[in-house]
Amino acid sequence: MDIIEVSIVGVGAFLAICMFTTLYGKSNPLYALAEESYIGFGTGLTIVINLLFIYKTGILGIQAGDWLLSFGIILGIMVLARIIPKYSYIARVPIAIAIGAQFGLALRTTIFTGFLDQIRATIFPLLTGDAMTLLNRWTIALSVIFMLSFFFYTTELKGPLRWSARIGEYAMYVAFGGIFAQTFMGRLSLFVGFMQNYTVPPWKIPYLLGSLIIVFAAVIILDRAKLLEKLTPEE
Amino acid sequence: MTEQKTEKRSIYRMLVEYDRRIIYLFIFVLIIAPLMQPFSLPIQVSPGTMTYYNVINGLKKDDVVLVVFDTEFSGYMEIQSGILASIKMMFEHEVKVAIAVSHPEATGIPQLVFDQLKGVMDQHHYIYGQNYINLGYIFPNEASVASTAQDFHSIVRQDAYGKSIQGTFLDNVNTWKDWTLISDYTTGIQSGSLINHYGLRGTPMIVNCIGVMISTQMPYVSSGIYKALLESMRGGAELEYLTSSPGPGLTAMNSFTLGHYLLMIAIILGNIGYFGYRSEMSRKAKEER
Amino acid sequence: MSSFFKSKTAQLTIMILSFLAIFVPYFIDVPVMTTFSTKLITITAIVSAFTLLLALYSQFRRGYTFIQKKKRGWIFKAYMMISIVLMLVFALFGQETGPYNWVMYAIITPLSSVNYSILVFYMASTGARAFRARNTRALLLLITGFIVLFYQAPLTGAFFPQLTPVALYFTNTFVAAVAKMFLISVTVGAIVFGMRVLMGKETTILGFTKEEAS
Repeated sequence: MDIIEVSIVGVGAFLAICMFTTLYGKSNPLYALAEESYIGFGTGLTIVINLLFIYKTGILGIQAGDWLLSFGIILGIMVLARIIPKYSYIARVPIAIAIGAQFGLALRTTIFTGFLDQIRATIFPLLTGDAMTLLNRWTIALSVIFMLSFFFYTTELKGPLRWSARIGEYAMYVAFGGIFAQTFMGRLSLFVGFMQNYTVPPWKIPYLLGSLIIVFAAVIILDRAKLLEKLTPEE
Repeated sequence: MTEQKTEKRSIYRMLVEYDRRIIYLFIFVLIIAPLMQPFSLPIQVSPGTMTYYNVINGLKKDDVVLVVFDTEFSGYMEIQSGILASIKMMFEHEVKVAIAVSHPEATGIPQLVFDQLKGVMDQHHYIYGQNYINLGYIFPNEASVASTAQDFHSIVRQDAYGKSIQGTFLDNVNTWKDWTLISDYTTGIQSGSLINHYGLRGTPMIVNCIGVMISTQMPYVSSGIYKALLESMRGGAELEYLTSSPGPGLTAMNSFTLGHYLLMIAIILGNIGYFGYRSEMSRKAKEER
Repeated sequence: MSSFFKSKTAQLTIMILSFLAIFVPYFIDVPVMTTFSTKLITITAIVSAFTLLLALYSQFRRGYTFIQKKKRGWIFKAYMMISIVLMLVFALFGQETGPYNWVMYAIITPLSSVNYSILVFYMASTGARAFRARNTRALLLLITGFIVLFYQAPLTGAFFPQLTPVALYFTNTFVAAVAKMFLISVTVGAIVFGMRVLMGKETTILGFTKEEAS
């Protein structure tokens, strides 16, 4: 392992543990350091990568003979007029074109993927398959109908509609239990994955533990000395 | 007797009113400790993972696969086991792999993957430009996804390193029809766009998503747009087990298990404390009356 | 000239034409229209990438205001602004090696990883403090949650395989049903919203204030 790799692990572990100090329960300058580092360097990264995309797609395209792409560059520069309040109205044309195009892209496909295909997949296969498959499909179909009836606000829920809404409500709570478990699994995986990054290979462990001890000791000492608020930036 | 009763009451109150930082400390310890001394746990493979494995296993030599790292770096931490296991399978099947990313933070992921799979790539004589290519950040928004689906070379002229893609295997890729498979590793950034402009048109798609997205991606599995869905780190661990290539997924399963048990114990104790404290309070109120 | 940019009718017309140029060729295959549609999509991709550059302006404005007012901790904002500039400078030295690469792996990737993984702590403590089996609905939620949590923990799934079909039944039916239900509802809402924008009923999206719109 070379000095660059060690410095990456050391600095990364330190800043990451600084970010974890939010769990202490009080704002502190180490968390502010980590936060501003992420915002600053992350914004810089986004700018660089997007400039490269504009260059590769727009400038190189124009150089290759696709002169229509120059409209993209001109319209893009017009969008930047939003920075100057006096001339921010110039940005309306490219925004109108972009929004119209985005709606066209979204609406021409979402009608199928988010609506028609979903209804087709729910209703059509209800009579084919083995016992377990049929049970699953009927549960899904009936649950979707009952859950949708729970959200009817335009009419009073009475009679069969009231029972349908009640069943839908209980079905939703059953679903929320499963969703909570999956969400927790996702968040736990994120944390475990992050920790793996600093425990594999084992030479990284001292940097992680060292950062943990130093950073939390610093926060506790600052808290005891009543310096936390003085050194933490205002919100 | 009275002292014992006071002690019993305060235990219920303790379970309700403890400092939440105790839970934070337990999570830290229970997650870090097993990672320092990993040991294997058996794992059951779910039908979804089996389907995912079969789709990749069905790939033939020289098929063209678009791998999309549709994630921030935090998402990579969660699904890296699935990413590494899937791409390793693809390399073993000698398919042609084009890698694209849709988030600036993901531009650092391809090199990490290549570094970890270098052995497999050398074993199957993978040459940059002929067998695999890193296209970099080409999917910043839905319009770019739609554009590559309709006319690939209108958006993509260079790879991530600034070299022209002319003369590579992508010369034969023009539209959505020319891809054998799209393999999306996603936290939801452009997954909807890939569904709309590739999946809906019939390009086969498989997805490895993070845990919070599993429920929202299921409708696309049932409607047939996704051929398979690999679920979070657990799915990645199952795939590692199926392919007999232990990696970050399987080694994380100990911490994973303990984290789940901790949550369940915390909820159970919280409920014991709540109901115990509530009945204490109502008994106290009755006594005072 | 400025009246053209400030005209609500002109902007709406441009938006509708742009919408039709993308929407119609998808269903009616006319080669000229399809080519134009593809070009317009590429132009839109470039314009959308420019909007992300506005993030630079907003961060600098925010930081400058903070420093100007000499609020407590202004030095952190100065550090943030310097780090943006540093990243732009580092990119000039190349992205595969050098300081840009170092910052990517030493600062951005660890902090990005922590950003979302902190939530596991909040989820665990909230789950322990807020999930109470007070009524039937809460009890149903907790029971399903526990079954799926047990299944997800590999140790339990391997030693109690009887739990697997029950957990899979809940996730493949009820969870899938609620996801479908939300997807259908959100899609209908998005289509309705899109139609309202195209009909000129939601002009704030184009940057018109309520007074200008009326």
